[in-house]
Amino acid sequence: MKSMIPALVIGLACLSASVSSARADAARGKEIYTKVGCYQCHGYDGQGGNTGPRLAPEPMELDALKTFIRNASATAMPPYSANLVSDGDVADIHAYLASVRKPPAGKDIPLLNNP
Amino acid sequence: MDEGKPAVSRRNFLAAAAASGAAVVATPPGAGQAAAQGAAGLAKSAPTSAPSHAQMEAEIGKPIKVAATMAEPGGRPGSDYMVDVLRALDIDYVATNPASSCRGLHESINNYAMNKKPELLTAMHEEVATAMAHGYAKVSGKPMGLLFHGTVGIQHAVMAFYNAWCDRVPMLVMSGNHIDAAHRPPGIPTTHAAQDPLSIVRDFTKWDDQPGSLQAAVESMMRAHKIAMTPPYGPVCISLDAHLQEGSAPASQIRIPKMTKVSPAQGNSEDVRDAARMLVAAQNPVIVVDRAARTHKFQGLLVELAELLGAGVVDQLGRQNFPSRHPLNQTSRARGVAAAADVLLGLELNDFWGIVNSYSDVAEPKQGRRAKEGAKLISINSRDLFLKANYQDFQRFQDVDLAMAADAEATLPALIEAVKSAMTPEARAAAAKRGAALGSAVAKQVERLIGVDATYAWDASPISTARLSAELWAVIKNEDWALVSRDVRLSNWPHRLWNFDKPYQYIGDSGGAGQGYGMGAAIGAALAHREHGRFVVNLQGDGDLMYGPGALWSAVHHKIPLMTVMHNNRAYHQEVMHVQRVGNWRDRGVERAHIGTTIENPHVDFATLARSMGMQGIGPIADPAELGPALRRAAQIVKAGEPVMVDVVSQPR
Ligand code: HEC
Repeated sequence: MKSMIPALVIGLACLSASVSSARADAARGKEIYTKVGCYQCHGYDGQGGNTGPRLAPEPMELDALKTFIRNASATAMPPYSANLVSDGDVADIHAYLASVRKPPAGKDIPLLNNP
Repeated sequence: MDEGKPAVSRRNFLAAAAASGAAVVATPPGAGQAAAQGAAGLAKSAPTSAPSHAQMEAEIGKPIKVAATMAEPGGRPGSDYMVDVLRALDIDYVATNPASSCRGLHESINNYAMNKKPELLTAMHEEVATAMAHGYAKVSGKPMGLLFHGTVGIQHAVMAFYNAWCDRVPMLVMSGNHIDAAHRPPGIPTTHAAQDPLSIVRDFTKWDDQPGSLQAAVESMMRAHKIAMTPPYGPVCISLDAHLQEGSAPASQIRIPKMTKVSPAQGNSEDVRDAARMLVAAQNPVIVVDRAARTHKFQGLLVELAELLGAGVVDQLGRQNFPSRHPLNQTSRARGVAAAADVLLGLELNDFWGIVNSYSDVAEPKQGRRAKEGAKLISINSRDLFLKANYQDFQRFQDVDLAMAADAEATLPALIEAVKSAMTPEARAAAAKRGAALGSAVAKQVERLIGVDATYAWDASPISTARLSAELWAVIKNEDWALVSRDVRLSNWPHRLWNFDKPYQYIGDSGGAGQGYGMGAAIGAALAHREHGRFVVNLQGDGDLMYGPGALWSAVHHKIPLMTVMHNNRAYHQEVMHVQRVGNWRDRGVERAHIGTTIENPHVDFATLARSMGMQGIGPIADPAELGPALRRAAQIVKAGEPVMVDVVSQPR
C-alpha cells in the first residue's frame, strides 16, 4: 500500500499536466511557434526584427492575437487560418510568448551603454 | 578554368601536334605566316594539358620542331605588352583561376612582371575572383584585373558580373579565346573557343571587345578602363585571343597609349540653380541617397548640403554616404520622413519609384503612393547616362520634376554653392529649426532601439542579432575598423549600434543580390584595406559562403587579415519566409517551409571548414556568454595579420 502512494502522486501530476495543456501549454506553444514558422519573422524568442515586430514578452491579449493572425491578409504578415493553426495551438503559442522572460533594462546591460 | 579533362586521347593529340608542328616549320617564318596571322607575327598555341616537348618527342620517337615566333629577333611576347598596359593603368592585382587560353598573359605576369604590379591572386572559382574584384574596387576606388578562361571561365563568372553591373563597380576582365579555326588546337581549346565569347555578358557589362591585333588589344584595354571608370562605373571585358598573347612583336610596332582620366558628368548650371531654389523654398526637404559615394569626398559634401538645408537624410546604404549618428540621419525613420517631404532629392537612386510608392507582397499585391501628393522630385543620377535593355535592374519608371543625368558626387559642390546663394535669413532659421526637430526625433528613436529593442532575447540561444552586433562593437570600436558587408540580414543592428563616420567604413552590398558575393567581396575589400592597416569585419551569410567556400583558401594564401563572423542561421532564410508566405496564402500547410530552404541535417561546421583551408576557425558559438571571449580571441588573430572565422549560431534576422 505504502509503495502505491508515490505512483499515485505521479499519476495525479501527469493528469494535472495534461489538464493544463488542454488550456495553454507554454512548452508545447514554443514547439508550435517554431513548427508553424512564427520564429522566421519574429525571432525564436519573439524579439522581433526587420522582418516582423516584437511579440514577447508581454504579448497582446490572446483574443487580439488570434484575431490578428487569422485576418492578417491585409498586412505584411501572411494569415494563419484555423486550418493551419487551431485555436488551441494559438492559445499555446500565446502562453509561450507570455512565458518569455523579461530582459534586463538597457541601462543595466554594459554592452548597450558603449558608444 | 577548364572543368574537364582532354577530350582527345593522348596519342591522337600527339599525332596532331606533330603534324601541326611540321606545318609551321614548312612555312618560312615572317613571310606568308605573318601575313596570314596579322602584322604582329603571331604564334599558334598548343592544346591544354600539353605534355612537355621532351615527353612528346619520346612518345612519337622523332624530333618535333615548333614555331619560332616566340623567339623572333627583336620581338617581345605579346602578353608582355599587355602587362605594360596594366602597369600604365595602375592595376595592382589580377585575380585569376588559371586556364590555357590565358597562359600567355599569366606567364608574363609571373616572369616578366615578376608577379609585382600586377600581382596574381589565385581564386578557386571565377565567381569568387569577380567578387574579390568587386569588394576591392569599392574600397580602393580602382579596378582589379581579372584573367579568365574564355567560355567556361566567363560562364562561371557571369552572375558576379551582374552583381558588379547592378552595383556600378568597375573591373577589367580579360579572357582568352582561340578564334582562328584553321590554326587553333583541336579538342578542348576548340570546345572552349567562341566566335563571340562575351555575348553572354554584354547585357550587363559596359563594354566588351575582341581585338584582332596586338596594337588593337592594347588600345582596347585602355579604352575599356576609361569606360569602366567613367561614372556610372561598371565592368568591362576584353577577349584577348591566345594568338595575341603568345605571339610577339617588335617594340617599334606597338605603342602603349597613356591612361586617360575622364571627368564625371555634372548637372548643368541652370538645373543646379533650379534644384537649389526648390530645396531652399521647401518646408520639408528630404535627401534620399543610395550608390552615391564614389570617393571619400562625398560624405563631407552630403553633410554640408544636409546641414545647410536642415534636411533629413535617408540612406539606402548603397555606400558609406552619411555618418550613421549624424542627427540628420533619419534612416531609422525612413518611411515616415520620406512620406512627409514636400521636396525629395534623390541621389544616385536605383529605385526612386520605391521611395515614392509602396508595394506590399501580399496574396493580392497592393500598390499605392507613399509620398505626399504634389511633392516635388529631383533626381541626380548617372545611371540616366547609361542603361541597357534586357535585365530590369533599372526598376520601375518614376517621373520626376527635375532630372539631371549626372554624377551626384561631381554635382554636389555646385549644388551646395547654389543653395548658399539661394538661402535667405528666414530660410536659414527654418533650416536650423527643422534640423533640431529631426535631431531630437531620431535621438528618441535611437534611445528606444538601443535601450529597449536591443535587449529582447539578449540571453537567447540562438544568439540574437542585436547581441551579436553589440558584442562585436565592443571588440572593434577602438580599432581603425571597416565593415565590408551589408547588415540588413542582421536587422541592421550594426548600423543602429556602431558609429559609422569614416568614409571607408562601409561599402554596401552585392548590387544584384546574387548569392556567392559575400566572402569573395570581403576578401577583395580587406586586401584594399590591408595597406592602411585597418581592422576589417565581414558579416557573412552561411548560404552565401557555400556557393564558393574555396574563397577561404584565397584569404589564407594571400595573407589577408579579415574577421569573418558567420551569421549562421542555418538556412537560406529569405526563402524560408517566401515559401512560408505562399503556404499560408494557399491555406495548405505551414510546417514544410524548411524543405529545400534550410541548411540542417547536417549542420555545416564552418570553423572546421575554415581550418581545412588553413584559416583559424572558432565555434560554433551558440551560447551568448561565450561570444565575447571568442570575438576577442579572433581579434588577436586578425591583428597578427591573418584571416579568421567565428561561427555564430544566430537568430534568423
Ligand atoms: C513571413 C513572416 C511572418 C510570419 C511567418 C509570421 N509573422 Fe506575424 N507579423 C509579420 C509582420 C511583417 C507583421 C507586421 C504586420 C503589419 O503590421 O503590417 C506581423 C505582425 C504580427 C502580430 C501583430 C503584432 C503587433 O504588435 O501589431 C502578431 C501578434 C503576430 N504577427 C503573430 C504571429 C504569429 C503568432 C505567427 C505564427 C503563427 C506569425 N506572426 C508568423 C510577419 C510574420
